[in-house]
Amino acid sequence: MKEFATNHGPHIKDDNTTSKMMRNLFIALFPIIIFSYIKNGLLPYLDNNISFINSLKPLLMVLIGGFTCTLVEIFWAKINKKEKIREYISKSYPIFPGIFLALILPLNTPYYVIIIGAIFTTFFGKLIFGGFGHNIFNPAGVGRLFIILSYYSVITGSGGYLNGSELDAVSSATPLTNASTNFIGNYSTLVKPFGTLWDFFFGFIPGSLGETSALLCIIGLIFLLIKKVIPWRIPIIYIGTVFIITFIIGMSNNLGIWYPLFHILSGGLMFGAIFMATDPVTSPTTPSGQAFYALGLGFLTVVFRFLSAYPEGVLTSILTMNFLVIIIDKIFSRGRYDRKKLLIPFIILLLLIGSITYYISTKDKAKIPDDSSDFKVNDISRENNNTIYNVTYKGYHGNIEANITFIDNKVISIDITKQNENVWQSITDNNYLNKIISNQSNLEKLDAISGATYTSDYLKEMVDNTIKYHEGDNDE
Amino acid sequence: MLRGLKLPKHKNMSLGKDILIYDKPKYVYIPLAIYNNLECTPMVKKGDYVYVGDVIGKRNDHFKLPICSSISGEVIGIEKRYHSSGHEVDCIKIKNDFKNKVLKQELITDITDYSKTDFISLIQTSGVVGMSGTDFPTYIKYNTNKKLNTLLINGTECEPYITSDYILLLNYIKEICIGIHAILGIMKINKAIIAIKKGHPELKKIILDEIDSYSCIELKEVSDYYPIGWEKVLIRKALHKKYDKLPIDIGVIVNNVSTIYAIYQVLKNKHCITDRIITITGDKIKKPTNVLVKIGTPISEVIEFIGGYKRGKDLKLIAGGPMTGNSIKVDNLVVSANLNGVLVRENDSDTFDDQCMRCGKCIDVCPVKICPALVKDHIDDINELKKLRVDRCIECGLCSYICPAKIELREYVKKGKSKVGD
Repeated sequence: MKEFATNHGPHIKDDNTTSKMMRNLFIALFPIIIFSYIKNGLLPYLDNNISFINSLKPLLMVLIGGFTCTLVEIFWAKINKKEKIREYISKSYPIFPGIFLALILPLNTPYYVIIIGAIFTTFFGKLIFGGFGHNIFNPAGVGRLFIILSYYSVITGSGGYLNGSELDAVSSATPLTNASTNFIGNYSTLVKPFGTLWDFFFGFIPGSLGETSALLCIIGLIFLLIKKVIPWRIPIIYIGTVFIITFIIGMSNNLGIWYPLFHILSGGLMFGAIFMATDPVTSPTTPSGQAFYALGLGFLTVVFRFLSAYPEGVLTSILTMNFLVIIIDKIFSRGRYDRKKLLIPFIILLLLIGSITYYISTKDKAKIPDDSSDFKVNDISRENNNTIYNVTYKGYHGNIEANITFIDNKVISIDITKQNENVWQSITDNNYLNKIISNQSNLEKLDAISGATYTSDYLKEMVDNTIKYHEGDNDE
Repeated sequence: MLRGLKLPKHKNMSLGKDILIYDKPKYVYIPLAIYNNLECTPMVKKGDYVYVGDVIGKRNDHFKLPICSSISGEVIGIEKRYHSSGHEVDCIKIKNDFKNKVLKQELITDITDYSKTDFISLIQTSGVVGMSGTDFPTYIKYNTNKKLNTLLINGTECEPYITSDYILLLNYIKEICIGIHAILGIMKINKAIIAIKKGHPELKKIILDEIDSYSCIELKEVSDYYPIGWEKVLIRKALHKKYDKLPIDIGVIVNNVSTIYAIYQVLKNKHCITDRIITITGDKIKKPTNVLVKIGTPISEVIEFIGGYKRGKDLKLIAGGPMTGNSIKVDNLVVSANLNGVLVRENDSDTFDDQCMRCGKCIDVCPVKICPALVKDHIDDINELKKLRVDRCIECGLCSYICPAKIELREYVKKGKSKVGD
C-alpha cells in the first residue's frame, strides 16, 4: 500500500502567484524609472545643466523610497516580534509604496523629505491598517498628500517639478498649473508652452518623476493586462471618462480634439489610472464595482481640475474613491444577483457627471480667447515724419485694434481704438502701454502684469509685430 | 453572462489507446456509500454466496437505492477502504469465484419494450446513479409528470486529464445511440442532443456517422471552458435556454454519456452495472490509459496492471478530476460507479501563506457570481454570508484555482454554505 499526500482541491492551480504579479508590476515600472532618469538626469547632464551627481537624483529618489519603506517594515516586524522576519518581508512587498512615492513626487524634493515621506507612507499608509492587503488608502498617495501638505514650500523653493533643462525653458511649473488659471484656453496657451502633444505623449514635459510619459504608461498597461496583473476596467474607464467629459467641454467651446488629449496626457492621469488606481488592495473587487469606481475617479479628476485650487487631482481622486471602496464592495456584491440594485448608484453618478459637464461647458464660455485673428495692418497714413499704423491683433476677449504712431523708427504713441479685455483696468493702472513704449527695443524683457498675463503678452506682440512691419516697410 | 475559464487540458496523455480490461480482481470491495451518503446498511453476512447483481446493501435515506454486487462469489466480511468521497467507508469484501453467475439470466433483445413505470422502477432497483462524479440517483430525474422535450447528453467532460467519457463515446457510440433511442421512446421525449466540446474532429465524425440513421438525435458542439459540463451552463450553451431551479422546469433531462451507457446496459441485462471505464492518468503514472474495471476493484491493483507508478517522493492520488476530485491518503481506494478517473501527480500544492490582496480574480471567475474573497472576510457573519449567496456554490473550484495567493477559497465558501444551511 502506497501513501500519498492529501490536501484540499483543486489539485491544479493557475500559474499566477502574488509574487509573480508583483514582479510583473516592477517590470512594468522599470522603463518608467529609466525614462525619468534619462529625462531628468541624463539629458540635462549632457546639456551641461547639472552635475553628474545631481543627474543621478531620479534613480536615488526611487532607491531611497524603496529602501526606507523596507527598513520601516523590518523595524516594525522587529518591534512586533514577528517570528520569521525574512518571510514576513517577502510577503509584504515593502518596496512598492516607496517606489510609487518617489515616482509621484516632484524631481526637486529634497532627500530628507523623501525619507520622512516614505516613513509616513509605510507607517500611516500601510502598517497602521494591519499591513499588506489591509490598507484602505493607497499608501503612496497618503505619503504624497502628507509631503505636499507639509513640505510644499520646501519643494517649490528648490525648484519644484522642473529639471535642469526645463528651468530655463519653461515659465510655468506643469501643464496643469499653467492651465489652472483658465482651463478653457486655446492650444497656444495650454499646449504650446511645453511643445506639442507629442511631447506630452512621449513625456518631455514637466511633471512628477514617473508620470510624464504616456507612452511608457500605455506599454506598461498592455504588459500588465497580458500578464493578468490588473483588471482592464479601471484604467480604461477612468481615462475614457476624463476623455469624454473634456471632449464635450472642448466641443461646446469650439476646441479641437487636442483638448481632451491634452487632458488625458497631463497631470499624471495615465500613471495614476494605470498604476495607482489599480492597486488591488485599495480598489473594489467586483467587476461592476471596479467600473463604478473608475467612473467616479474620472468624475472627481475633472471636478478637481476645473473647480478646485489644486489642479493635480488624480491622486486626490484616488484617495477619495479609496475611501468608498468598502461601500462599493458591499453594494456591488449584492448587485451580482440583482442587477437592478446597481442601477441607482450608476444613474446617480452619471447624472452628476452630466451636470458637471454641462456646468463647466457653459461657465467659462465667455472667457475663451479669440485665436482667430492674427496680426493685420488695416491702414497706414503718413503725416510729416509720423507714420500711423492702424492694426488689429488678437486679445483675450476678441480683437484689439490700435493706432500706433512712429517717428522714424521709434514708437511714440499707442492709441487703443477697440478692446474688450476684462482686465483692462490693470493695464491702465500699471501704465503698461507707456512701459511698452519705453521698452520697445527690448520687449521680451518686459514682464507681463500678473493677473493680466495674456492681455499684456498680446499687447507686446502687437507692438512687436508693428515694429517689424514698420522696419520691413522702410527697407523697401 | 456566466463566466468560466479555459483550463490546461492534459488530456492527450491518456488518449489514443485502446481500452484495457481488468475484470479479474481476486476480491472486490463494494463500498457501502453513495457519494457523500455514508450511511448504508449491509444486507448480506459473512459466508453468504452472492450472484452478479444481487442486492447486498441499501441506502438509509429517502432515496431508495440498492447497492449491488458486481461479481459472484462468497462474502468475506466488511473492511474499511477509501472511497471516491475522500472518506474511509465500510466495504463488503467478496471473494471472486470468476464464474460471473447471474441468478436469472435475461437478455433483452428489444430494449424499447418497456413502459415508463417499468423503466423507472428498473433503473431504480438497479441503482443507476450519475456516473460522472455526483452519484445522483438517476431515476429521480425521470420520475416526473412534467412534459419533457429534450434529453441532453453531456459528453463535454470539462475536467482536465479525464478522458473516460471521450473513450466511451468513441467505442460505444452505437450502444449509446440505441440507449438514447430507447429512452426517447419510453419517456416520449421528442429529441436528444449529444453535447461535446469543440475541437474533436475524430469524435465528431464518429458520432455524426452513427446518428445519421436517427432523426431524433442531434450533435451539438459547445465551447471548451470550465465548467461547461455543469448542467446550467450546458443548457445555456447547447439549448440557449435558462431555468431557475432544475432543468426539468423547462422539460429537459441532462444525463452524462456514461450514465446513458449504464441505462443501456441495465435495460439490456436487467441487472445493475458491474463495471465502468476509468481514466488512470497523471505525470506519475507510467502508462496512462483508460481501463474497464469491475466496481469494487482496489485501484492499486489496476495501477499495477497498467504498468505502475513512476518514481517520485511526494505524490498525490486524486479520485476524480483535478478540479473537483478528492485526494486520497492510500491507494486502497476502490472503484465506485461515480469514479471516472484517478490522477497521480506530484504534490505541488505548496502551503502558501499569502495575504489576500483583494485582486478580485476569484470574483471575476465565479460561474455563480459568489464573491469568495468577501465570503472569506465574513466567514463568521451568517447574515452577510446569506447575502453573498454562498448557497449557490457548485464547488467547481475555480476560485481556489485562480487565486494568486493560493488561498483555499472553495473551502471557505463550502464552510459558509454549510453554516447557512444549518
